[in-house]
Amino acid sequence: MIRITRRGLLQTSAALALPAVGRAQGAPMQLGVLTPLTGAGSFDGPRMLKAMQAVANEINAAGGLLGRKIELVVEDDETNPEAAVRAAHKLIDVDKVPVIMGTWASAVTTAVAPVCWESKTFLTTVSGADSITHLPHQGYLIRTQPNNELQATKHADFIIRHGAKRVFILAIQAPFAEPTRKYLTATLTPKGVEVAGSLVYDKDKTSYRSEVDQALKTKPDMLYLNGYAPDVAVVLRDLYRAGYDGGKFTQSYALTEKSLGELPKEVTQGVITAQPSADLNSPAYAAAAKRLGIATPDSYEAQATDWISIVALTIAKADEATGTAIRYTVRKITNSAAMVVYTAVDGLAALKSGKDIKYSGASGPCTFTDIGDILDCKFRFNGVDNGAFKFIEIA
Amino acid sequence: MLIDIAQLVLNGVMAGAILTTPAIGLTAIYAVLRFPNFSVASHATIGAFAGYCANVWLGWPLVPSSVVAFLVAGLAGSLSDTVVLRPLRPSGLITATIASVALTIALENMVRLGFGNSLRDYDLPIMRDWRFGGLRVGPQQLEDLAISVVAVGTLFAFLAFTRLGKAMRAVADNPTLASIKGIDADRIGQIVNFIAMGLAGLGGMLLGLDTSIDPLTGFRAILAIFAAAVVGGLGSIPGAVVGALTVGVAEELSQLVLPSDYRTVVGFVAILLVLSFRPRGILGARAY
Repeated sequence: MIRITRRGLLQTSAALALPAVGRAQGAPMQLGVLTPLTGAGSFDGPRMLKAMQAVANEINAAGGLLGRKIELVVEDDETNPEAAVRAAHKLIDVDKVPVIMGTWASAVTTAVAPVCWESKTFLTTVSGADSITHLPHQGYLIRTQPNNELQATKHADFIIRHGAKRVFILAIQAPFAEPTRKYLTATLTPKGVEVAGSLVYDKDKTSYRSEVDQALKTKPDMLYLNGYAPDVAVVLRDLYRAGYDGGKFTQSYALTEKSLGELPKEVTQGVITAQPSADLNSPAYAAAAKRLGIATPDSYEAQATDWISIVALTIAKADEATGTAIRYTVRKITNSAAMVVYTAVDGLAALKSGKDIKYSGASGPCTFTDIGDILDCKFRFNGVDNGAFKFIEIA
Repeated sequence: MLIDIAQLVLNGVMAGAILTTPAIGLTAIYAVLRFPNFSVASHATIGAFAGYCANVWLGWPLVPSSVVAFLVAGLAGSLSDTVVLRPLRPSGLITATIASVALTIALENMVRLGFGNSLRDYDLPIMRDWRFGGLRVGPQQLEDLAISVVAVGTLFAFLAFTRLGKAMRAVADNPTLASIKGIDADRIGQIVNFIAMGLAGLGGMLLGLDTSIDPLTGFRAILAIFAAAVVGGLGSIPGAVVGALTVGVAEELSQLVLPSDYRTVVGFVAILLVLSFRPRGILGARAY
């Protein structure tokens, strides 16, 4: 039998504790990633993950962060709030990450954000619903995606410019449905474009025939389809079957290259898609393109690039990898008037030499308001012709 | 207004017809094996993907592809039952039911592993709807309806006129008495399971024909399928048909009074009402 004496125990623990300091320096710095690898967001999630991994690899190759290698701990949010909350608890309680990057769907972010701010973990997201930055997040959240107001206003401007007269809004049940409807109406109505009606539908249906009938009864010449890819694909088919040939407008994530390849050409003909545009002229964008080996990374890859860059630079600036340190330091990186840097590696080198920096990103200038919204961004509009996207304008 | 209601009823009948085959699958397994097998959801998905492979990869027309959907889902059902559910059934209803939920998640993810998450479409021409007297109906819907009617009709004939069908009804009605008469209840259970999962697979393909398929195709429909089986009377095959049509039509008609995003509520309310006031379902639990 082994006898454990108090003195023996103290001696052993002291012996174990001493080299622990040395060990910690070699241990990788774990950062949390929570993106949709499955579900409606599964087109963007894996690509956002790749973009973050690429930046992490670049930082690691240049010597790491605070002398440690970055290691991304990845969980799948399944584009599902319940799964996302479980995964967030795992990242926070088990892996003890200071930051979670990557929630995509607004409903998911709305569910995960309280878990984050309660545990003082920083959260970066692409979710667009206005309500998200109005949550009492105490500064533990930033989003690089324009909010509903900015998006809906720019979409409405486009619809007005292109001459529609009667708009019907078909939206999925999601936190962004109502604010988008409100801001669209507020922008369209004064310019003489009538909002003929709106309808919110349930996501898990295999047919939207009745909803389509309801919309078409109002005789619109433009349908604003505010949903996700699986449901918008069904709605587009049902619109074609119902004989509708008028205008159709949707978010780029609701009609992706992939779904364009799968849907019949007749069904997608004439659909206009809008997306927040990455800052194509920025050196940060060029660096992201080179890093990822893609000619034109999209807005989501650009935003993911910016999150990890901002987080890494903030941790370096604060000299501490905790959620609270990130929360108090992040605007010293994003909102400062100092020397502009476009990549994390350049920024880390500048910080090491004692300089102050301002990170300007691939998705845009990345300057945040007090509640964590970006100030402005550009939008890219594409139209579908014969089964392929044709560029219309960036505005 | 009247024409609107007629259109909603028509949409509901079409949607209900598609729910019929998986609902029969669920109810048939309940009748013979005495537990609700929620892995009907993933077998519907497996059928949808099997039909997709036959239709898109091999270029087969719709009807042979739907036979493939039936066979592959049926075989997958036999395999998963032998490996997972059969050994657990002696431990009781709750164990088997929970195991079936776990099984459906596992199978769904196996489909995901092989095919990925993206939406896939069958290789079918999309057609404008036909209109008559203010109503509209899609040619594809009618084809789905026809396939469903033929499948259900064949099943009824099988149960009514063949020796094996009669044996199945006997086991469902009274397993002890059936075994006294020399019917091997275990073997009948396996055959019912094969046919039931095959029907689920066929239903999964029908669900996908009108829209698109992905690994969640069956899971999205499981609430409506379960509601259909419960409303008709869990264990009753004609009940599943009546239940599916009732749930389909009720979901559509609910739009007259409820906003469209509350459609899912209809399935839950139907289950709640039936279990509160008529737990045996509309037709009661007779297996035929």
